[in-house]
Amino acid sequence: MSDGATATARLAPWRRSPVASLGLYGHFIRLAFLKFLAYRLRYYTGVVSYTIFVAGHYYLYLALYAGRAAEGLGATVGGLTVREMITYVAISWIGRSLYFNNISRDLARMVTEGEIAMHLIKPFHLQSVMMAEAVGEAGFRLIMFTIPIMLVVVPVFHVGAPAGAAALLWTLVSFTLSLVIYSQLSFLVGCLAFAMKNIQGVLRAQMVGMDFLTGVIVPFTFFPAWFQSAVNWLPFQCISYVPVMIYLGKRTGPALVDGILLQVAWAVGLTIAARLVWRYATRRVTVQGG
Amino acid sequence: MEEVTPLQDVMRQDDATRFAFRDDRTRAARLAWQARIFGAYFVQFLKMRLAYRVDFIIDTLAVLFSLVIQLAVLSVMFSKVRALDGWTYPQVLFIYGFSLVPLGLFNLISVNLYGFADEYLIGGRFDRVLLRPVGSLAQVIFESFNVSGLSEIALGLAIMASAGLKLGAHFGVTDALALLFLAPGAALVYLGVFLGITTVSFWVEDKMGLAPPVYNLIRFSRYPITIYSLPVRLFLTFALPFAWVAFYPAAWFVGGERFSKVALLTPLVGVLVFGGAALLWRRGVKNYVSTGS
Repeated sequence: MSDGATATARLAPWRRSPVASLGLYGHFIRLAFLKFLAYRLRYYTGVVSYTIFVAGHYYLYLALYAGRAAEGLGATVGGLTVREMITYVAISWIGRSLYFNNISRDLARMVTEGEIAMHLIKPFHLQSVMMAEAVGEAGFRLIMFTIPIMLVVVPVFHVGAPAGAAALLWTLVSFTLSLVIYSQLSFLVGCLAFAMKNIQGVLRAQMVGMDFLTGVIVPFTFFPAWFQSAVNWLPFQCISYVPVMIYLGKRTGPALVDGILLQVAWAVGLTIAARLVWRYATRRVTVQGG
Repeated sequence: MEEVTPLQDVMRQDDATRFAFRDDRTRAARLAWQARIFGAYFVQFLKMRLAYRVDFIIDTLAVLFSLVIQLAVLSVMFSKVRALDGWTYPQVLFIYGFSLVPLGLFNLISVNLYGFADEYLIGGRFDRVLLRPVGSLAQVIFESFNVSGLSEIALGLAIMASAGLKLGAHFGVTDALALLFLAPGAALVYLGVFLGITTVSFWVEDKMGLAPPVYNLIRFSRYPITIYSLPVRLFLTFALPFAWVAFYPAAWFVGGERFSKVALLTPLVGVLVFGGAALLWRRGVKNYVSTGS
């Protein structure tokens, strides 16, 4: 066998050993981490942004609970006291700083600019590459973004401690699953670019809709029952609502197990769905010059 | 001996006649001429946009979607409490509706400010702007539009009307005039703040991304400012004057005696903030060196 043939054998995804695959995608994780490290200055102002988000909701909910006290209504809303509510808001945004990424926007850009063609001829699966990059980005975010945000937000707004050591551990597991769910969902949104030439509007809707549907802005327990049962059938609650409720100790025992299993199911389900959509979409991709 | 005009002076004169923009029209005529030019820019842009009708519809749907979500959040909040720091649901709704009008006006013309450093300064489009005999700032602002701003304005007016009905308020001619006076004033505050941030890129490359945190503050400027602590209120009134983009001007309609006088300062604040930013812009243009690309 010639050298060229061995190289092909090594590179061809169907001949690659699992270990080699792991090495390949591991490389993308490392590269993404380094890439974001180069742009770390941007994240300093990001810390300010997130503090603003938390501060805005902090005052809003303080006014809400104070208003209820003045009107002689109960001290809990949707099962949360004012302290728990502040913690809910802070942990939601801290979590968001970790799992957030721009997969949909990046994928849409690749499709509309034709760059996608170059990725399609390379011996890797773009969905896995983007997931690997999301992991690398999350690693960067954890160190350079999420932890600084925590260091600012937790003392300033007196954020409550986790419900216990186990709750903290499960919250971390849960947010890790959020990363997978968020990324795969975002990948699916990005795939819309294959069908539509311009998805700026869709991307904007995703930006606005995501934080609402994941429960970052208002916990679902504030909503009427019909809304709560509707979101139970959607993947969004698994991105933020479930891990934050675990942190607050509102999901323990069987409910905790249910929550984690639901997250795993959505993570796997969405990954498969994205794979199928990808397969269908790339079969008929048209690149206009690029 | 015969006087010889130094060569340099000859050249200077020559340059002056060649480059001077001969303008003996009155100021009013010049303004009308500029308005016609920018009107033509807008019509041109609309034609371009309408070529992609689907995009336009989707953009409008995205605006509508974000509006529905904001309204859902507000209504859920007020299903739990009757008043936030004394502000009732229709009042807060009215402030929110009002906030969309200046925001729409601002969004309509601000698109180019976001990409200014990349497209104009680094990409070299600013050279072309400077060659034309029309103000550079006006050209940059009017070269592109975001039509979804129009939907925001329309929806904002609709929300104000419905909140006004809920309040049982009677809005008359004075209120309509006040709106014509306050909304553009508030839009000037937006424009001034973001123009100021954009202008910084004449001197330094903005590696930090100053605009996003400022932009993210907007959503909290729609709530009654009285719910915030004193330092935050002072900050939003004097340092980063976002209290003037929604709450203060809207309070003219729903805030009662307490805020009606303050509200009327909005256009003044707008002119000050925008004027300051425009001066900064002029200094920036003087400082501008082309990248040559």
